[in-house]
Amino acid sequence: MSAADMHEDNTRKAQEERLRAAWMAPRGWRYFTAVNNTRVGLWYIVTAFTFMLFAGVLALLMRVQLAVPNNSFLSADFFNQTFTLHGTVMMFLFAVPIFEAVAITVLPQMLGARDLPFPRLSAFGYWSFALGGVFVCGSIFFGAAPDTGWFMYPPLATDPEYSGIGADIWLLGLSFIEVASIAAAVELIVGFLKCRPPGMRINLTPLYGWYVLVVAGMILFAFPPLIAGDILFELERMFDWPFFDPERGGDPLLWQHLFWIFGHPEVYIIFLPAIALLAMIVPTFAQHPIVGYSWIVLAAVGTGFLSFGLWVHHMFTTGLPSISLGFFSAASEAVAIPTGVQIFVFLATLLAGRVVFSVPMLFAAGALAIFVIGGLTGVMVALAPFDWQAHDTYFVVAHLHYTLIGGMLFPTFAGLYYFYPVMRGRMLSARLGKTGFWLMFVGFNVAFFPMHIAGLRGMPRRVFTYPDEIGFNVLNLVSTIGAFVFASGVLVVIWAIARPKRNEPYAGRNPWNAGTLEWLIEMPGEDWGVRSVPIIESRYPLWDQKNLMRDVDAGRFYLADAAEGRRETLVTSVLDGDPVQCLRLPGPAYVTILAAFSLGGVFIFLTYHWWIAALVSGAICAVCILYWLWTGTAEIPEKREKNVGLGLTLPLYVSGPRSVGWWAMFITMVGDGTALASLIFGYFFYWTVHRGFIAAAAGPGAFWPIVGIALFAATWGAMLGALAANTRGSASGQRLLLILSLLMAVLGSLAGLAGPWTHAMTPSSHAYPAIVWTLVIWVAVHGAVGAVMQGYCLARSLAGRLTRDHDIDLRNVVLYWHFMLVSAVLTFVVVGLFPLAL
Amino acid sequence: MRLVPKEIESLWTLFTAPAVWAAHFLLCYVGAAVYCAKRSSWGFGFEWVRVGIGVATLLALTMILVSAWLAWRQWGFGAQDPPHDRPTGHDRRSFQGLATLLLSGLSFVAVIYTAMPALVIAECNP
Amino acid sequence: MKAQSVAAYLLPVGCLVAGCSDAQSVLNPHGAEAESIALLFWITAIGGALIWLAVVGALIYAGRRHRKPYSQASAARLVLWAGAVVPSILLAVLLGYALALIPDLRPLAASADDDRLHIEVIGEQFWWRVIYHPPDGQPVVSANEVRLPVGERVTFSLKSTDVIHSFWIPPLGGKMDMIPGRTNTFSLKATKAGIFRSPCTEFCGPSHALMAFTAVAMKPGRFDRWLANEGKEAVNGKPGLKPFLANGCGACHAIRGTEADGAVGPDLTHLASRKTLAAGSLPNTEDAIARFIAEPDEVKPGVRMPAFGMLPQDEIDAIAAYLARLE
Repeated sequence: MSAADMHEDNTRKAQEERLRAAWMAPRGWRYFTAVNNTRVGLWYIVTAFTFMLFAGVLALLMRVQLAVPNNSFLSADFFNQTFTLHGTVMMFLFAVPIFEAVAITVLPQMLGARDLPFPRLSAFGYWSFALGGVFVCGSIFFGAAPDTGWFMYPPLATDPEYSGIGADIWLLGLSFIEVASIAAAVELIVGFLKCRPPGMRINLTPLYGWYVLVVAGMILFAFPPLIAGDILFELERMFDWPFFDPERGGDPLLWQHLFWIFGHPEVYIIFLPAIALLAMIVPTFAQHPIVGYSWIVLAAVGTGFLSFGLWVHHMFTTGLPSISLGFFSAASEAVAIPTGVQIFVFLATLLAGRVVFSVPMLFAAGALAIFVIGGLTGVMVALAPFDWQAHDTYFVVAHLHYTLIGGMLFPTFAGLYYFYPVMRGRMLSARLGKTGFWLMFVGFNVAFFPMHIAGLRGMPRRVFTYPDEIGFNVLNLVSTIGAFVFASGVLVVIWAIARPKRNEPYAGRNPWNAGTLEWLIEMPGEDWGVRSVPIIESRYPLWDQKNLMRDVDAGRFYLADAAEGRRETLVTSVLDGDPVQCLRLPGPAYVTILAAFSLGGVFIFLTYHWWIAALVSGAICAVCILYWLWTGTAEIPEKREKNVGLGLTLPLYVSGPRSVGWWAMFITMVGDGTALASLIFGYFFYWTVHRGFIAAAAGPGAFWPIVGIALFAATWGAMLGALAANTRGSASGQRLLLILSLLMAVLGSLAGLAGPWTHAMTPSSHAYPAIVWTLVIWVAVHGAVGAVMQGYCLARSLAGRLTRDHDIDLRNVVLYWHFMLVSAVLTFVVVGLFPLAL
Repeated sequence: MRLVPKEIESLWTLFTAPAVWAAHFLLCYVGAAVYCAKRSSWGFGFEWVRVGIGVATLLALTMILVSAWLAWRQWGFGAQDPPHDRPTGHDRRSFQGLATLLLSGLSFVAVIYTAMPALVIAECNP
Repeated sequence: MKAQSVAAYLLPVGCLVAGCSDAQSVLNPHGAEAESIALLFWITAIGGALIWLAVVGALIYAGRRHRKPYSQASAARLVLWAGAVVPSILLAVLLGYALALIPDLRPLAASADDDRLHIEVIGEQFWWRVIYHPPDGQPVVSANEVRLPVGERVTFSLKSTDVIHSFWIPPLGGKMDMIPGRTNTFSLKATKAGIFRSPCTEFCGPSHALMAFTAVAMKPGRFDRWLANEGKEAVNGKPGLKPFLANGCGACHAIRGTEADGAVGPDLTHLASRKTLAAGSLPNTEDAIARFIAEPDEVKPGVRMPAFGMLPQDEIDAIAAYLARLE
């Protein structure tokens, strides 16, 4: 070895030491403070799977009960808790979180990024999910689980006598988990758009990324309506505000609308990420690039949009006008088109290549065979007349399991088998995988196919038993046998994953000969992800770019070093992947866990009406979040710029639309705006269906809402002034305007509340005052949060952490106030001026 | 001078056609739902709702066609076949053009589907 | 995998051989709506089966080792035609067909002055209140059984007093929800006589599974005679009436022609002429009536009726004997 080589070798070793030190996940008793995506993702996956197994056991209990007619293995009451929890856990604690889990684990790897842009937010989301999930699942051990079905229709679910505390556990536990989902959505959208490697233009991104973008976008528009619904629901349960009580101007159908505006997109939120895994697996096992990349983008985006026009197909029997049924029937048929496109893209890719039938491909093929049946029965039930017969029968139970198990569980198992080497550095047993697959595939069809027939023979869903001699006996017994075969297959696969593998060798690099960047990872992987961030010139760089792996390993690309001992990743432009910033990421922290647990405390204590405890917990949470923001974000770097390698110098601090934080604020506020829009939808829903709705109570008048608009407009103007003053370099002007705007924000919030207050509107008397109060409280709370943000900026300015050149905080808060102004004007126009127009 | 610049450098143009579908869908649904819920308080019959849906449909289809034409132009009128996977700005724009064109096609079909109920359903039953 | 699905398709055949009942089956149509939906089902099911075979066939073919890979161009054509164009057309045709069914299946609801039979059904946890409104005549109150004449379109108005239930007579047609605060109206036309089991199809509480009614489609003449009888008062003076009244049963149940005029629970005036007891959960026998009086909560968890097991057995038996003769 020459001296030069030796020198190079030593340099490389030193770089690796520094990188390793910077990215090392904590060990020992601090293990759980880690925020690395590889760790958080792994916990997420394990937790989600644990919940899945739990819900699977519940399903087996139900199958035992239904094996024979007039069975008394489970009581009616326990059976009702069982099916409610089964649906709830599978949907909210497995299907959606497993998307977040897998995406957090593999997306950065696929993008050659070191981590996602907000690692602590991922960790926060994980802890929220874990705590909320344990809370919801645990309820069944105390006989207190929700028992009204996973869609919680009022008035059954609002009846405190019938549903007890279970409904509160459902509402508050899941609201908490929804917060985690939205956090993940923000993280993943910004991750996909801004954290791609240099050169990875939008036409070269892995298809998985497109799906993540679409699904995260859908979460942003689908979850807020449910949160809005949860708020109304909980207000009715806690304070008797009659949103769903027809005797006091409410309407049970409003919940169904809000729930399904969430619920149907949610099905695609579950389905698309799983199809995304197939879009990665199929090209690898066909050893051929995907045929029809643009078609997949079409399908993902098209499905994302169309899925919001389907919700009423869950309400075809509620007595809506035929024409409404027609619209939703039409959209429900239309969504089959992009779904079919994806299946044919996979078929075409397989036909264009040569197929290697490994375990992941086996699961993928099984997924398609099953899912196509679910898709076709979906086309059937989307036809309103057929749905009048099939609705709420076992036909629908069969249909939804064919779509979700074929469209989600099998692809997820395919993905786990496929990505396991990326996560743990080893291959899983092919023998166990094949055994597990065939048991699952056969068991699944034996269990669920007969349910189509049971449904057509008239068996309603959600029955804890059925009479003899109406033709259900054989079908149900067969289903039960199939369910146990299916469960045994799941156990075989779980065993393949969970059994100790200490003595087995690590896999070779890129064991499936895949083309995408996640396979750059060493076996076993290092905490840093990629050794250096490469320049990308192809959709399948490992197939097309010669010596890519060698050059990446040799640190010949960007960020090969961590000279300052900091965690860093690249931020690039949306369309062309041009590097724009070297982003410093925060490391391990307790504060995220504490924030998640104290927020969980708020929700849990509210369930039991422990108001003081909830308040204290909320205060702790607020302090945690402020501390987290203060110490972990918008940090002023020691130097302006940094050489990231290959002669490229990038800024360390950018603000406004170029910064990831600004995007996160933007995306969060879009979701927040959707929740407000859902509440306003509620207002107009009542107005539409109930004659004389607005005349039901006096108030809130036009005066106070107009004052509110004026004050919030002034607040907004003062914020713009503060930003302008700061940009001019006038710290005192900026501070003065911040104080002024803070005062006006508080006054604006109070003015909003003054409308219904001065008219003595009693929310428990009628749905009209209740929805007016809800809207103005929504605005007031947002005004108060905005005021806290203004105070935070003031404090940052006084502490020298917000200056003319370092204004991330101020710009993000101004962005918040853009949204806030729109929210306030909209709300006050609706509650104050709309009644005058009638 | 062009009415619409040849290249709008943005990811969001991709979503034009499906956004038109969404607006059209919402308009049809809300219009019919409000009409039928308050059917006794209008001075006109349900056939005018159907006419309104027809007009909205034509409008939406026109907008989608415009979006499709712009996308087609961005795609270079099909001068090059996919996969558009070279690391150049040209291929990136062609990809965007093709994807937008395909989405316009899907949206076009979906808008027609949405309008179909108005052809056969002539009253606010039940 | 093919064998699996074929076996599953054969199951209903096995069921037919074993001779199981079709009283609740969608595919045993006895009404105009059910007939046209069953046809829609068979068209889509057979079409779907063919599509599934084609897709899985292509998948299996793609997995074969010895075959020539498709060129990029022909693979792309497959996506365009088989993935997009053909499905769009097929779905449009199917959607048009299904939409065109709607105006016939769900014609405009009956207005007040038409001469159809009108049946009001009110869902309550966990039974059905049924009120017949003949076009010319007095309303007739009954419970847990819906009878209708063959060949006539009958209008239903559906309501609920507590939670959401759903009304469904599978062999006659689709279902319609019963929602508190709303009245849903639709109509059904039976084309053949028959007796059907009609379950509640919206989850409504602990005994949701035990909430059903019997639907009977009868020849018009027989229906008219039945309705005339149903409108009559009960035959009076049986020994069981006394304990019935003495124990307060009449506070909740009505037996027309006696002092019992409660409106909380089901009307019992012609209980014995019904096919089943307790909303389809027991056979209508004297023993079953006695059991239900003694332990209704054992039969139907969450039922509103209090248990009368503390009464002397002979009183229970006397009441049961009385009720079992109210034809």
